[in-house]
Amino acid sequence: MRRVVVTGVGALTPLGMGVQGTWKQLLDGVSGIRAIDRFETEDLPARIAGQIPVEEGHPYRFDVDSLVPAKDRRRMDDFIVYGLAAAIEAIEDSGWKPTDEDDLERTGVIIGSGIGGLPNIAQAERTMTAGGPRKISPFFIPSSLINLVSGHVSIRYGFKGPNHAVVTACSTGAHAIGDASRIIKYGDADVMVAGGAEAAVCRLGLAGFAAARALSTGYNDEPTRGSRPWDKGRDGFVMGEGAGVVVLEEYEHAKARGAKIYAEVLGYGMSGDAYHITAPAEDGNGGFRAMRNALKDAKLPVEAIDYVNAHGTSTPLGDEIELSAVKRLFGDHAYKLSMSSTKSSIGHLLGAAGAVEAIFSVLALGNGIVPPTLNLENPSDNCDIDLVPLKAKERQVSYALSNSFGFGGTNASLVFGKV
Amino acid sequence: MSLPRLVVTGLGVVSPLGCGSEIVWQRLLAGRSGITSLPPEMVADMAVSVGGRVPAIADDPDAGFDPDRSITPKEQKKMDRFIHFAMAAADEALAQAGWAPITAEGQERTATVIASGIGGFPAMNEAVAICTEKGPRRVSPFTIPSFLVNLAAGQVSIKHGFKGPLGAPVTACAAGVQAIGDAARLIRSGEADIAVCGGAEASITRVALAGFAAARALSTGWGHAPEQASRPFDQGRDGFVMGEGAGMLVIERLDHALARGATPIAELVGYGTSADAYHMTAGPEDGNGARRAMEAALRQAGITPDQVQHLNAHATSTPVGDKGELAAISTLFGRGAGPAIASTKSATGHLLGAAGGIEAIFTVLALRDQIAPMTLNLDTPDADADGLDMVRGAPRPMAMDYALSNGFGFGGVNASVLFRRWQGA
Repeated sequence: MRRVVVTGVGALTPLGMGVQGTWKQLLDGVSGIRAIDRFETEDLPARIAGQIPVEEGHPYRFDVDSLVPAKDRRRMDDFIVYGLAAAIEAIEDSGWKPTDEDDLERTGVIIGSGIGGLPNIAQAERTMTAGGPRKISPFFIPSSLINLVSGHVSIRYGFKGPNHAVVTACSTGAHAIGDASRIIKYGDADVMVAGGAEAAVCRLGLAGFAAARALSTGYNDEPTRGSRPWDKGRDGFVMGEGAGVVVLEEYEHAKARGAKIYAEVLGYGMSGDAYHITAPAEDGNGGFRAMRNALKDAKLPVEAIDYVNAHGTSTPLGDEIELSAVKRLFGDHAYKLSMSSTKSSIGHLLGAAGAVEAIFSVLALGNGIVPPTLNLENPSDNCDIDLVPLKAKERQVSYALSNSFGFGGTNASLVFGKV
Repeated sequence: MSLPRLVVTGLGVVSPLGCGSEIVWQRLLAGRSGITSLPPEMVADMAVSVGGRVPAIADDPDAGFDPDRSITPKEQKKMDRFIHFAMAAADEALAQAGWAPITAEGQERTATVIASGIGGFPAMNEAVAICTEKGPRRVSPFTIPSFLVNLAAGQVSIKHGFKGPLGAPVTACAAGVQAIGDAARLIRSGEADIAVCGGAEASITRVALAGFAAARALSTGWGHAPEQASRPFDQGRDGFVMGEGAGMLVIERLDHALARGATPIAELVGYGTSADAYHMTAGPEDGNGARRAMEAALRQAGITPDQVQHLNAHATSTPVGDKGELAAISTLFGRGAGPAIASTKSATGHLLGAAGGIEAIFTVLALRDQIAPMTLNLDTPDADADGLDMVRGAPRPMAMDYALSNGFGFGGVNASVLFRRWQGA
C-alpha cells in the first residue's frame, strides 16, 4: 500500500499569516478573538469573531495586497483569497514546484469550504435589488463558487491532476485531507494540495448561526473569553475565518526528492449520525465511529494515541458529547492522553477548521508540545481528563488524532504519526 | 490491487422533463424538451428568458414534482429546494434498489454522497433580503442548514438512517460526476458496501441568472423558441440554458448486490478526473484536460477507446466549451470512428451540479435498453464535429457494451465515468 506523508503546511488564521506565527502565539496562549470591527454589529446577538489581522503593526499581519492585487480581488471572494494564501505557503514550504508535464498531471488540489462566497452572494443580492441585473459583475459566479479555490491554485501552479472540492460543513477541512490521502493511496496522484478555507464572518453568517442558537452571545464585552470549550461558562461557538492547507505526498516520492517530512497520514475515518440537522446524537455514536474507523485504518490500538485535537467548539451540548465518545473509545487510556481544543484561541473556522487543526496536530508531533485549551477555568462535570487547560504542555507525542464534526451529522477523524 | 466490481442497482430522477427515471427516459427518447419561458416577473429586465424548470405536479399530473411525497410540509420548510429534489430522487433510487437497511451494520455501511454546484441559492437570497430589510434577528434558525451544500446528503442520511460516510462535492458542473467517483472510491476502499450518490441543484433565481448571464455563459438569442435554445454542437448555439433537478444512483459492490438479491442495471467500471490548470471559466481549445479525464476512466476499466460505443457529452451548448470537448473526443477516439455522441442537455438544459448525476443515469439506461439518445436542435453541426458520430434527429437503437459520461466545470475541473452493460456476474 502506498504511504502518504505531509511535506508542506500553510495557514492563515485569526492569529495571523503563516504557520510559524500562528503556532508560536497558540503555544503562548494568545487569543485571536476580538470585537468585530469591519461591519455594523449593533443589532447582532453575537458581536465577536476570530478575524484575520490586517492592521499595520500586527506581527503576523495578513498583507492581502502583496498576495492578490486589488484588481484581481474582484475575481475572488475572501475565502478564495485566504485559501490561496495558505496554499501558496504550503506549496513553497514543500518545495514542490514541478514543471515537467507528467509531474503536473500527477499533482492535484482538493480544497473545500463550508459556506463559500456568502459575503459575495449577499452583496450581489443587494446590488440586484438596488441596481438591477445588469449591475451584476461577470466575476460574481466564479468569485463565489466553492471549487474555485482549487481552481485558482491549479491555475497558478499548473497542477493538472485531480481537482476537487468538498463541503461537509465544519468537517470540510478534515474530509479534504482524508480524501486527498485516499487519492494518493489509490495511485490517482502522487502529490495533493489539500485543505479548507472560510470567510463567512459577515452579517448574514452571524445572523444565521445565531438564529440556529449555535453562537456565543454572552461574551461580547470580553471577546477573548468567548471561546471556552468544556468550561462551565461556555455558551456557543465563536466564528472564525481563515484557511489551512497541507501538501500531501506519496512517501517514496517525497523521499526521492529529499523533501522535509512532517508526519505520515496514517488513518482516516468517517461516519454519519443520521440523527439531526444541527445537533449531534446524544450518545456521541457518530464521533465514536469516526475515531474508531480512523484508528482501524491506521492499524493502531487506542493506547497509541498521545494527543487528540478535539472538535470542541465550545457549545454546551457538543463538547461533552465528544468527550464521552473519547472516553468510551479510549477507556482507561483516555486519562493518559492529552486533548485540547485550539478553537479556544482562534474560534471555529468552520470549513477551514479541520485543516488548520490537522496542522496543529502535525506540529504537536514534531515539537513534543501540545497547545492549550484557553479559558478552561471551571471544567464541566465529568470533564476530568487532561484537557490542557490554559497553558501549553510539553509531552511526547508519537501519534495524534484530530476530530471534526459538522452540521448534517457528518464526522471525520484523522490520525497522524511520526515517520 | 484488484478492485471489487461495482454495479448500479437504483436510479432516481427529478428533472425539467419530469420526475421518475422511466418516464423521463421515455420523454427524452421521444424528443421532448423541458425548456420553457421563465416567468416575466423573474426575467423581464434580463437578456436571458428561458430555463429548464422542474414541472409541478399541478402542471404535469403524470410526472410533476410533489415534495409532499418525500417530505412532510413541516420538514420542507427546513430545506431549500435543491434538498427537496435530492430527497425525492434518493427515495426513488433506493426504492428501485430495494435498499432499506434496519441493522446497525447495514446502516453504518451505507454512504451518502450528494453534490451540488451552488447549494441553497434561493434560501441565501431570501435570507439576505430578510437580514437587510427586517434585521438579523428575523433570520430563520433554519437558514444555514437549508442552504449548506452538504445538507442534501445530511437530510437523505437522516431520513433513511444511513450512518456511513457522508460527502458533498461542489466542483461546479462536474460535481455530480465526482460524487459518483467519490462514492465508488469509498466502496472500493472498504469504507462502505453501498452508496446513494449523485447531485442536486435548484438555482434558477434572479441573482444566479444575472450572474451567469454577466459571465456570458447563458443563451440569450432563443427567447422566441425556448425548446430550441439548448443546441449543443450546433452552429447556432449561444450559451447554456439553466436547468434544475436531481439525479441519484445507488451503487454497490457486486457481491453485496447479489447476496441480497438485487438486480444490477449496469456495471460501473471506470472513473477519471483532471484539471485544466488554464482559466477560471473557460477550458483550453484542445480539450486537453477533458481528454485526460476520459483516458483515466478508460485506464481504470482496462479498456481501449475503440471499445466505447456511446458518449453522453458534457456539451452545454456554449461556443467555446463544446469546441474543446469535440477536440478532446476527436483526439482520443479519432475521426471516422468512435462512439455515438449525444448531449442530453439539449432536452434538460444544464443542471449544473446535478448534471453529472442525471446524465450518468441516461448513460446507464442507454446501455440497458441498447439505444443512444439524440441531441435535439442539432440542425447544422459545428465543423469541429466533422467525422464524429453525432446522434441527431432520432434516438438510435444500437448494440453497446461500454458508454461514457462527461462532466466539466468552472475552475477547470473535468470528470468522466464509464459504465458497462450488465452482462451477468
